Amino acid sequence: MSLRRLFQQFWAIAGAVSVRTKILGIVLGLVLLLGLGITLQVRQALTRAMDAQLEQQSISLTRDLAARATDLILIRDLYALHQLLVEMQANNADVRYAFVVDPQGQILANTFGAGIPEGMVETNAATRDEHHRTVVLNTDAGFVWDTAVPIFEGRAGTARVGLSETSVNRAVDSVTGQLLLTTVLVSIIGIAAAAFLTWILTRPILDLAEATQAVGQGDFSRRVKRWADDEIGDLAEAFNAMTGDLARAAQERAEREQLRVEYVKRIIAAQEDERKRIARELHDDASQALTSLRVGLKTLTDICADPELHRRVTDLQTIAAQTMQGIHDLALQLRPSVLDDLGLVAALERHLSDCRRRYGLTIDFAVHGLSDMRLSPAIETALYRIVQEALTNIGRHAQAHTVSVLLEHRDGKVVAVVEDDGVGFDQGAADSAGRRLGLFGMQERAALLSGKFTLESAPARGTSLFVEVPLKEG
Amino acid sequence: MLSRWLGLLIAFLLTACSSGPSGAPLVHLSNLKPLPAEVSSDVIPLRVAVAAVVSPKGTAESYQPLLDYLSAQLNRPVELVQRRTYTEINDLIESGFVDLAFVCTSAYVAGHDKFGMELLAAPQVNGETVYYSMLIVPRDSPAQGIADLRGKVFAFTDPMSNSGRVYPTYLVKQLGSTPEQFFARTFFTYSHDDAIRAVAAGLADGAAVDSLVYDFAVSRDPTLGERTRLIHRSPPFGIPPVVVSPNVRPQLKAELQALLLGMADEALRNPRAQNALRAIGIDRFVSIDDSAYDSVRELLKAVGSLE
Repeated sequence: MSLRRLFQQFWAIAGAVSVRTKILGIVLGLVLLLGLGITLQVRQALTRAMDAQLEQQSISLTRDLAARATDLILIRDLYALHQLLVEMQANNADVRYAFVVDPQGQILANTFGAGIPEGMVETNAATRDEHHRTVVLNTDAGFVWDTAVPIFEGRAGTARVGLSETSVNRAVDSVTGQLLLTTVLVSIIGIAAAAFLTWILTRPILDLAEATQAVGQGDFSRRVKRWADDEIGDLAEAFNAMTGDLARAAQERAEREQLRVEYVKRIIAAQEDERKRIARELHDDASQALTSLRVGLKTLTDICADPELHRRVTDLQTIAAQTMQGIHDLALQLRPSVLDDLGLVAALERHLSDCRRRYGLTIDFAVHGLSDMRLSPAIETALYRIVQEALTNIGRHAQAHTVSVLLEHRDGKVVAVVEDDGVGFDQGAADSAGRRLGLFGMQERAALLSGKFTLESAPARGTSLFVEVPLKEG
Repeated sequence: MLSRWLGLLIAFLLTACSSGPSGAPLVHLSNLKPLPAEVSSDVIPLRVAVAAVVSPKGTAESYQPLLDYLSAQLNRPVELVQRRTYTEINDLIESGFVDLAFVCTSAYVAGHDKFGMELLAAPQVNGETVYYSMLIVPRDSPAQGIADLRGKVFAFTDPMSNSGRVYPTYLVKQLGSTPEQFFARTFFTYSHDDAIRAVAAGLADGAAVDSLVYDFAVSRDPTLGERTRLIHRSPPFGIPPVVVSPNVRPQLKAELQALLLGMADEALRNPRAQNALRAIGIDRFVSIDDSAYDSVRELLKAVGSLE
C-alpha cells in the first residue's frame, strides 16, 4: 500500500470531522502515544534493570550461602545447614529454592521438602575454580535465576539458589499499571483541555461564519468581536473593515440609484411634456395654418374657373389634406390628447385601431374592471407607453398576425398583458441595441412605479409581455 | 482497516510485555522426586577425625596434605571427619566410626578414662610435646591477670577444651568463684582461632587459647598478634595427641603408628611428607606415654565436673 493511499485514507477520516474533533484527536493521540511509548520504554528498562539486579542478588546470596555453609558442611551440621537455607528463603522473598549438593552429587540440604524436582541438580553446575555460574531456568513457576557457587573450592560441594522473577514482574506490572493510570488521567485532562481549547479556537470562527452569512444576505451592520490578539483576531479585524467598506459602497450605490431613478423620472416627465407641447403646437399652429391654406385654395377655385388651375388647386388641396392627416397622426403618436382627456382605455382603443390600420394586424383588446376608471396620470402614461412600445416592436419585428391585449384591474393593481403569435426572439441572445433599449425603457417605466415587468419569448413561440403596477405606491 | 492497525499495536505491546529469555530448559518445581539414598562406597575409607581446635575450614585446609599423604601411603581413600564439639568426636571414636583422630588433651583424658581411647603418637613442636593455655586480652585492655577480668565478657573455646575452658575455670576457682559468677557473660566459640578473633575484634574481653594454635594463627595472620596481648601462661600440659579407637585392628594401629612416627625421616626425601608436617605446623610425630597427661587429670579433678 502506497504512502499516498494511506494518507488519502487518513485524510478521508481526518478531513471529514470538525475542528473540535481534530484538536481532540491531536491532543488525545499525542497523550496516548506518549503515554504508551513511555510505559513501554519504562517497562522494558525496568525489567532489564531489575533482572540484572535479580541476577546480582542471586549471585551475592549464593556466595553468602556458600561462605556460611562451609563450616556447617565440614562438621556435618546438616540441621544448621537446613536452617541456614530456610532462613535465607524466609528473609528473601525472591528466593524460590535453595539447596546444597556435596561433591558426590548428594543433596545435603534443600528447601523443597521431601524431594527435589526432577532434573534440577543437572540444570546448573560450577567448577571448583569458578566464582559463580548463573543460568536462567524456565520453570513452571516462571523464569528463575539459578546461581551455582562452589563451596570451599568445591571440596564441600556446591550451593544453589534460585531467585524467582515473580516479584520483579509484580513490580514491573505495578509500575506499568501506574503509568497507564497516569496516561488515562492525563488523557481525561487532555480531553477537557482540548474541549476548552477548541471552544476558544472555534468560537471566533463560528462567529465569523455567521456574520459572513448575514453580510451575504445584505446586513452590513454586522460586526464580529475580536476575541484574541492572534491570527483569528486579525481575520476578524479584516472582516469588520471589509464589512464597513461594503456598507459604504452599498450606501453609495443606493444613493446613485436614487439619483438615477429621479433623473430617469424627470427625463420621462420632460419627454412627455415636450411631446405634449410639440403635439399641441402641431395641432394648433400647423393644423391651423394648413386649414387656412385649404380655405385659401377653396376660395381660389371660386374666384377663377380655369380648369387647369382647378386641377392644380385640387392636387394642392389633396396634398394639404394628406399633410394635415400626417401632422394629426404625428401629434397623436407623440401624445394623444385623448389620453389626458378620456383616459387610458380610450387612448389605447384609439392607438390599437391606428395600429390595425397601419400594420394590418388583428388585435383583440380586452378590459376588465376599469372601463370608466381614471388612473393617475403617471400610471396611465407609463402603461400607454409600454403597450405602445410593445406594439411598435410587434409591428416592426414580430411578423405576427394576431395580437391580444388585456388590461385588468384587480386587488389594487393594474395588469397589462400583450401577447402575439409572431416569430419571437431569443431573450439571452444579443439583439439590436435599439430593441434592447426599448425593452429596458419598458422595464424602467414599470420599475419607477414599483411595478413588475416580465417578458417571455422564444424563437417561433411568440412573445408575451406582462406588466403589473400597484395603484398606490408603497 | 483501523482495527487492523490497532490489532497490530496491541500485539506489539503484548509481545513487548512478556520479556525473558526463551529456549531455556523447562523445570517443574512442584514435581518433586524423592532424594536418593546414601550411596555406599565399595571401598571403606580411613576416617580421620580432627577436633575443632581451629575453625572447620582452617582444619580442612591444614590437614588436607597430611590426609593426602596418608591416603597415598595406605593406598586407601581417607575421609576427614569434623564435628562442632569434642564430645561429638569422642562419641564417633567410641563407636568406631572414626579410625584415627587428632583430639584435644582433655578429650583424650576423658576418652581414655571412659572407653579406653588409645594413644598413637604426639606431635612435637619446637622440640617439645607440651603446650600451654594462654590468657589473652585485647591489645588496649588494661588487664594484667585473670583477676582484672572480673565482670567482663569471656570467650571459651570448647566446653571440653583443656586450655580453652578447664584451665581458665581452674584460675577462677583459685580466686574462690565460678565462671558464671566471676564473668559478666561467657560464650563458646568452639574453636581456638575463633576465640582469638573474638578477642581481637573486642567481642570478648578475654579468652584462654591453645598456645600452639595462638602461635600458628599469629604466624598466619600477624594482625591477630597486633590486636591481642598475652597476660598469663599456664604450666605445661601434655600436647593434644593422636589417638585411635579401641576398635581399630592392631595391625592397622601398628601400621598407622609406624607411618606417623616415620614421617620425619620420610620428609627428608619425600616433599609430600614434609609438606604435610609443615601444613599442621609440627616438627614430627613422637610416641608418648599416658603419664604425660596426669597433670591435666589433676587439673580436671581440681575443677570438678564441668557442665
